[in-house]
Amino acid sequence: MTSSYVIDASNVTLSLGSGDARVDILRGIDLRVAAGESVALLGPSGSGKSSLMAVLSGLERASGGAIRIAGQDFTRLDEDGLARARQGRIGIVLQAFHLLPTMTAHENVAVPLELSGADDAFAIAAAELAAVGLGRRLTHYPAQLSGGEQQRVAIARATAPKPELLFADEPTGNLDAATGNAILDLLFERQRDTGATLLVITHDLGLARRCGRILEMQDGRIISDRGSG
Amino acid sequence: MSLALRLALRDLRGGLTGLRLLAICLFLGVAALAGVGSLSSAIVAGLNERGQAILGGDVQVSMSQRDASAEELAVFRAAGRVSHVTRMRAMASRLDGNETILVELKGVDQAYPLYGNLRLEPGALASRPSANQVAIGPELADRLAVRIGDDIRIGAATLRIIGFIAEEPDRVGQGFALGSTALVDRTGLAATGLVQPGSLYTSAYRLRLPAGTAPDAVTERFKTRFKDAGFQVQDRSDGAPGTRRFIERLGQFLTLVGLAALVIAGIGVGNGVTSYLDSKSGTIATLKLLGATSRTIFTSYLLQILIVASGALAAGLVAGAVIPSAVTWIAGAALPVPPRLALYPTPLLVSFCYGLLIAFVFAILPLARARAVPAGSLFRGSLESLPRPSWQWIALASLAAAAIAALAVTTSRDPGFAAIFIAAALGLLLLLSMIGWLIRAGAARLPRPASPLLRLALANLHRPGAQTGRLVVALGLGLTLFTTLAVIETNLSGQIRTTVPDRAPSFFMLDIPVAEVPRFRELARRSAPAGELVTIPALRGTVVAVGDRRVSEMRELPEGAWFLRGDRGLTYARDLPEGSRIVAGHWWAPDYRGPPLVSLDAEAARAVGLGVGDRMTISILGREIEARIGSLREIDWDTLGFNFIIVFAPGTLEQSPHSFTATISMPQDQERVFARTISKAFPSVSMIRVKEVVETVAGMFEQLSVAVRSAASVAILAGIAVLIGALAASRRARIYDSVILKLLGATRARILAAQALEFGALALILATVAFLLGAASGWYVVVEVLELEWAPDWGVVLAVLVSGAIVTLLLGLLGSLSALSARPAQALRNL
Repeated sequence: MTSSYVIDASNVTLSLGSGDARVDILRGIDLRVAAGESVALLGPSGSGKSSLMAVLSGLERASGGAIRIAGQDFTRLDEDGLARARQGRIGIVLQAFHLLPTMTAHENVAVPLELSGADDAFAIAAAELAAVGLGRRLTHYPAQLSGGEQQRVAIARATAPKPELLFADEPTGNLDAATGNAILDLLFERQRDTGATLLVITHDLGLARRCGRILEMQDGRIISDRGSG
Repeated sequence: MSLALRLALRDLRGGLTGLRLLAICLFLGVAALAGVGSLSSAIVAGLNERGQAILGGDVQVSMSQRDASAEELAVFRAAGRVSHVTRMRAMASRLDGNETILVELKGVDQAYPLYGNLRLEPGALASRPSANQVAIGPELADRLAVRIGDDIRIGAATLRIIGFIAEEPDRVGQGFALGSTALVDRTGLAATGLVQPGSLYTSAYRLRLPAGTAPDAVTERFKTRFKDAGFQVQDRSDGAPGTRRFIERLGQFLTLVGLAALVIAGIGVGNGVTSYLDSKSGTIATLKLLGATSRTIFTSYLLQILIVASGALAAGLVAGAVIPSAVTWIAGAALPVPPRLALYPTPLLVSFCYGLLIAFVFAILPLARARAVPAGSLFRGSLESLPRPSWQWIALASLAAAAIAALAVTTSRDPGFAAIFIAAALGLLLLLSMIGWLIRAGAARLPRPASPLLRLALANLHRPGAQTGRLVVALGLGLTLFTTLAVIETNLSGQIRTTVPDRAPSFFMLDIPVAEVPRFRELARRSAPAGELVTIPALRGTVVAVGDRRVSEMRELPEGAWFLRGDRGLTYARDLPEGSRIVAGHWWAPDYRGPPLVSLDAEAARAVGLGVGDRMTISILGREIEARIGSLREIDWDTLGFNFIIVFAPGTLEQSPHSFTATISMPQDQERVFARTISKAFPSVSMIRVKEVVETVAGMFEQLSVAVRSAASVAILAGIAVLIGALAASRRARIYDSVILKLLGATRARILAAQALEFGALALILATVAFLLGAASGWYVVVEVLELEWAPDWGVVLAVLVSGAIVTLLLGLLGSLSALSARPAQALRNL
């Protein structure tokens, strides 16, 4: 059965550990997100936001339920299958940037393109870095860049392959307010330009309101799903 | 360029911090192996290259106590140009009789040397001795305090020293020599009057064959033609069989020691790779997040390890390849022949294979674990412990380990010994792993001490990420190897320096004419009244048949049947010799006059399957004597008295031309006078001072020990590298601990004390384990393999062990000092 949703998850559960040590992190998540939507995921620490994002991006395998992402059944894929499914289709931006320290900004952005077999990976990467305002910082290593610049590189790396889905986990958490706002502007701008569906985790209500839809989580469940207006 | 390689090269830009340990360990192990292999190949090549000079010809026929018959000589001459060399032991003395020294007397003809050059040191009066002249070794000149132009006496001849020998091309081929050479021509030899029927001399006929003649064909022809002549035929390919065997065996043994070092290095490789991959887990997770498959990750990191390992292997091979040059430069004089300095691809290739396989065995499992780094860990902010690699990876690593064992066994000259060594090393590895596990498990179960620092020391032994297991295996192996070698070494030197001199006589005396024996006894009794004199008849003979089997027709000698090779000393006796015990049959009656009867060493009899009542045939001076075995004896060789494998009953050999040999024990202060008196009265009698023999042999063992210790040092160096690597791997945790403890008010001294306790406990356990295992394996080698008395010097062994343990402790603490010096505020920002 095909789905018209980019994210189509039903009754998703995630448990870690076993026996007495078993912790239920996600307890029956149902979520459908259409192409091009922007969704904010709110909730207190430990509510399961990051785990839901990990499961939806294929970084973690769900314990139960059905998940179709960009038309692919994630429950049937093994770890390497999930990695291939991410290639070119899913971009991820994390709070701590997670750039590869031994690669230049240019190479960092080119890696996902190289992994997905793009012929002109470095040309696309250069254009993407120019688009995020770092056209003159191609040969710099992460350690030579400021926090804001590093997050710009991370955004460029996530958007360069023109993904269908863009995940961002507290993308401004490590940045000061001014830099954070500039990064958010950039993130939404790149989302618009690429037409990607955006799912962003945040504690910041202001950021959540910039999204078209706000989900609220508590104790591994989605407790509210509303429009931002 | 493939994506994995591109990623690998980019990743390597971050530096080799973690892979430095891998590089150091591989370098050490491979350099040691390549060095040992190259050196022994270079020496063997040196022997081969000089095969003709060392042997003295293309073919050599040597015989005891006789010269070649006219028929034999005619056949030799028909094959090529012949040179006749006679060798025997003799006494050289100053004309004033004040100093008498044992020499290897060598009488040569004009054709000598057929190959190579006889060279005398500058200042010689002639290029070679003639008639009443002699050329001597420089060390003999020193000991006799004589100069060129002086006269010395050998036997009945007075000979003028014309020069000191600088190069004697066939010296190595002659094997172990007790004295230095005194070279005379055949006239000079005859003038000494020492070559008499029954005196112990060797005649060698060397042949220079016409170009294109195959020496082995000539050898074969002589053997067939003179099947039972009792002489030994060698060709140039086997000029110094004893030296060659010794070098090859020593090389083999050192290779195994080197291999043990490489296994320790392998643990360092494993630790280095693990800590490198641990430091890369963030990168690995990020790459997975970006879509990299585990295959891409595996290939990329395998390539990185291969790149660094190749560099280390290449450096190790280069270092190994130059070791022969370095050893020649430093200790060339101690080597039996100048090594042929060249590049020897085989030992280098074998060492490369060992290094590569070791790197593979120890790196593959951490690599397999790295494949499993979950991308999701980035969301959790910490990297949890990784699952164990699946059985396929463990099987792959085991396969590579089996390939190492197969390589060691198939390239060994003694596959059985190599297999035992490998099995023992494997057993030791498993045992140490188990001990490491027990220490961790024990530390985890011990009641928590009240002192927080003690608790920390205990926890450091077992907490997640603790390096205890790896340290126990690596340092345990290193210390055990060192202890084993110390046990063996002190046993050998103890045997020679302590046991032997206590029980050994002061002198051996050779070539006492039969008719002179009563006068000799009388003089010996008068000049050394307290001396214990034993005289015994001595002949040389060759065993030519065992039962109905001719020795010349045996394709290969049975193991342990070395007494069938060449000629052996024989004697006859009325009474059972001291130090012998009858284990089968009966000793004959003192007045026995029946058909030839012999008593045989029980071990020799076992080797060839002979028993009481069986027959053996012995050729003495060309005459074959068939004798029945009357008894088997067990011989205590340690007495250093007269121990003959074959003893004849009275009535068979008395009429053969022969001489007597004697031993005498006396207080050391009487030795000098005794030697002077006997050599004046009996110039033909050779006197061997046992103390000098012991010193010569002890000197050889000393050189051996240096070689073994050098190879073993690599094992210790590898162990230290592993220790440093393990400390580096736990550095982050140690910095964290000390910062938090400082934060809570602990002084540096108290934190250091806690760490001293941790390393002290580890060092104590390791030293105990190494002591027990080293003593056990040392005992096996000494008692079971070398069949020597068990007499290690525990003082030295313990000193070796304690120094090893102290180094472990000190290095451990040294590594902790840097963690202690971390400034809390700065460290907390970075942790």
